Amino acid sequence: MTDNGSGATADGSGATADGSGATADGSGATTDDPLLAVEGLRTTFETEAGDLVAVDGIDFTVERGETVCLVGESGSGKTVAVESLTGLIDQPPGRIEGSVRFRGAELTALPPKALRRHRGASIAYVFQNPQDALNHCYTVGWQLIEAIQVHEDVSDAAARARAIDLLDTVGVPDPAGRIDEYPHQFSGGEKQRVMIAMALVTEPDLLVADEPTTALDVTTQAGILQLLDDLKAEYGLGVLFVTHDLATVSQIADRVVVLYAGTVMERGPVVDVFERPAHPYTRALLACLPGRESDLDAVGGAERGGIAGSLPDPTAPPDGCRFAPRCAHAESACSTGDQPPEVAVGDGHRVSCIHYDPGDDPSALPDPTESAAEAERSSVESARQDVIGDE
Amino acid sequence: MSDAPLLSVRDLTKHYTTTRGGLFSRETNRIRAVDGVSFDIHPGEALGLVGESGCGKSTTASSVLRLTEPTAGDVIFNGGGRGGAGRNDDGTHPNDVTRFDRNELKAFRRDAQLIFQDPASSFDPRLSVGASIAELPLVHGMTDAERRRAIVEDLLERVGLSADEYDRYPHEFSGGEKQRLALARALVLNPDLLVADEPVSALDVSVQADILRLIDDLRAEFGLSVLFISHDISVVREVCDRTAVMYLGEIVEVGPTEAVFETPQHPYTEALLSAVPTLDPRSSGDHIRLTGSVPSPADPPSGCRFHTRCHRVIQPDGIDLDQSVWRRVLDFRERVVAGEIDSASVRERVRVGEASPGPPAGRSERAAADDTEVGGPDTDDAARVRAAYDLPATFRDPDVDRAVADAVAALLSGDDARAAETLAEAFTTPCADHAPEFTTHSDGHRAACLRHRPDLPGGMGVFDAE
Repeated sequence: MTDNGSGATADGSGATADGSGATADGSGATTDDPLLAVEGLRTTFETEAGDLVAVDGIDFTVERGETVCLVGESGSGKTVAVESLTGLIDQPPGRIEGSVRFRGAELTALPPKALRRHRGASIAYVFQNPQDALNHCYTVGWQLIEAIQVHEDVSDAAARARAIDLLDTVGVPDPAGRIDEYPHQFSGGEKQRVMIAMALVTEPDLLVADEPTTALDVTTQAGILQLLDDLKAEYGLGVLFVTHDLATVSQIADRVVVLYAGTVMERGPVVDVFERPAHPYTRALLACLPGRESDLDAVGGAERGGIAGSLPDPTAPPDGCRFAPRCAHAESACSTGDQPPEVAVGDGHRVSCIHYDPGDDPSALPDPTESAAEAERSSVESARQDVIGDE
Repeated sequence: MSDAPLLSVRDLTKHYTTTRGGLFSRETNRIRAVDGVSFDIHPGEALGLVGESGCGKSTTASSVLRLTEPTAGDVIFNGGGRGGAGRNDDGTHPNDVTRFDRNELKAFRRDAQLIFQDPASSFDPRLSVGASIAELPLVHGMTDAERRRAIVEDLLERVGLSADEYDRYPHEFSGGEKQRLALARALVLNPDLLVADEPVSALDVSVQADILRLIDDLRAEFGLSVLFISHDISVVREVCDRTAVMYLGEIVEVGPTEAVFETPQHPYTEALLSAVPTLDPRSSGDHIRLTGSVPSPADPPSGCRFHTRCHRVIQPDGIDLDQSVWRRVLDFRERVVAGEIDSASVRERVRVGEASPGPPAGRSERAAADDTEVGGPDTDDAARVRAAYDLPATFRDPDVDRAVADAVAALLSGDDARAAETLAEAFTTPCADHAPEFTTHSDGHRAACLRHRPDLPGGMGVFDAE
């Protein structure tokens, strides 16, 4: 967990980027450094409507052997954030500011060629749609062997044995028999396992998985999550897992970072965030999940319902807390200044909300203010109560 | 809820066939997408249809609406004032959708409406949303433009939008708002049945909750019956009175939603429920893991279609293994018989096993180079093959052990046919021989699993707690 409050870095992210970039170049990597440390990451895109701020000054770290989940809805900036890490964003129109240090070495300052060495070799990616990432004209084995030989000078036979071994590691049944099959002969879950095998070719330290199970059936998803968990334990991988699905997060994460409109709303150990959610946004998100009445008690009896309103315009984010316009707990003070600085409400559990003072209990959120609560209730709540009452 | 169902589907079947040749073409392949599905939906009731992708749930929906022509079966629709009719003398039914002519079908399409997963692609981008919705009453004969507009404006408000939005275009709406528009369009003709095919799968979770609530409210307000199709069990649990679980073109369990979810009576339902992640980060994540992948609907397994993946697959008389070991033995048998495991792949596995330090350690360097040597009955190699395919090094039951040893030896000596024959003879399961029939467990809760048939070996009437 970083010690900087995000409010501070968000103010001067440009300056921090330059400063830390310079120092990191000079200093060597030490083992004390976290595997990945992101500070004040800010990614903007030039558009006709003005600068679109997709990621607005976020901080997080990933240690070896832990899974950190970036969770947020579509448009929260989670994918842009992880693609910014190794410069997968085209610049221009994109612009990446802030500091990304991998084992202590600054990545944002690296020239494209040096960055490419990191990408794939020490930081590997797994994306949502394996069918887009596999070439359907070549066998799975051919593609794996190619990936192995790009990174290592080994004989065909050795590469083939390694490929079979990798397929076995990721749980493809009968790898020796399947290696000569084409991607269309693999099911969706198996294709995703092949993608993970390909990511493991270079024995990376950090695996970035962007919605890897979203396109899969729930039975298949359970297997892939288990595999990622096993790999983390076995190889001491750091896993940065991006998802919109809170249930997935609760299964796989060690720590959670909740994103909304490009900023961090809340972060902390997964048990704290799920059992004692502090930020109104996190609470609302947990309350949205369908078919889980029994779990609602676990999140402090939060009220069931969608979140009224929609994401703010990323070219003109609102003043103050980004979530204030949709927040049932918003006061006038919420809509002034910048995103509130993060305050600690537990060990490593931090929240960006003016309703909390440092050291407060996560349950210390006051009741919704009258006016905001009324607007929320008028349209929908009465009908909802009936439904909940029936059960 | 009245006694007569609004929709009564009997043995609905949809097979897709591929043929080869011209005039004297012959059938080369038959995909059994939906294979004898029966269910009822009563007025005002919501029935959920859940299953993995490819199980035939969407094909069921489009066959019910006759958007695809079903191969066989009856779809009896008693809505739109058609109620009360009995069967004709020849066994046909006057309200059978599959026999409707053009005019009857047009009338039926007024009374049964459909919404899809992707609201963005179901609106014409060049028409204002109001005009898109008002098109339906126009097609069905309402010529008064002002009245059409009034009806649509009223509906827009009922689905939580405002009447001013009549003249806006689809791109001006968010995904959730577009799904509200799709609901308004589905309701504009005042239907009796709404078929919703994955209506919230493309939406963010915060929007999902809103749409589900809206569907629930509209159902009460309009007295709608809903056929709700989803792969997401928790969504179905939220909105449906009854739930049917589909696997490979068949319904395996159906019943009141709470009964199906609280006391599932089919192993597939159990596995599906177990795979749903809970919100509790402290839960162990101890899921039932289904082995293998969904078999092809072109060649579904015999007997119970789920037996190739079932964690409760029955052991025949004379075999008493640990259930998980039994499952692995059957997997091995299945794959050898199917030719997925043959002497070539076994030899390759043995070589890989030698290259990396595997469980059977202590192997000398008499090595991978000597391919021809591998053919002999080599105990080390046999142990390695067993380890590679998750089989125990020895079985307590000597008969089982001998059969597996024979098969592995046959594979190592290159005799694939003998290996397949040995395994197929030694390991059988009643689940592959008998198609399960439905048994009733509580009011309206039925499941099709041989475990509930005490008359069969291995059937015990109820699930034992394992």
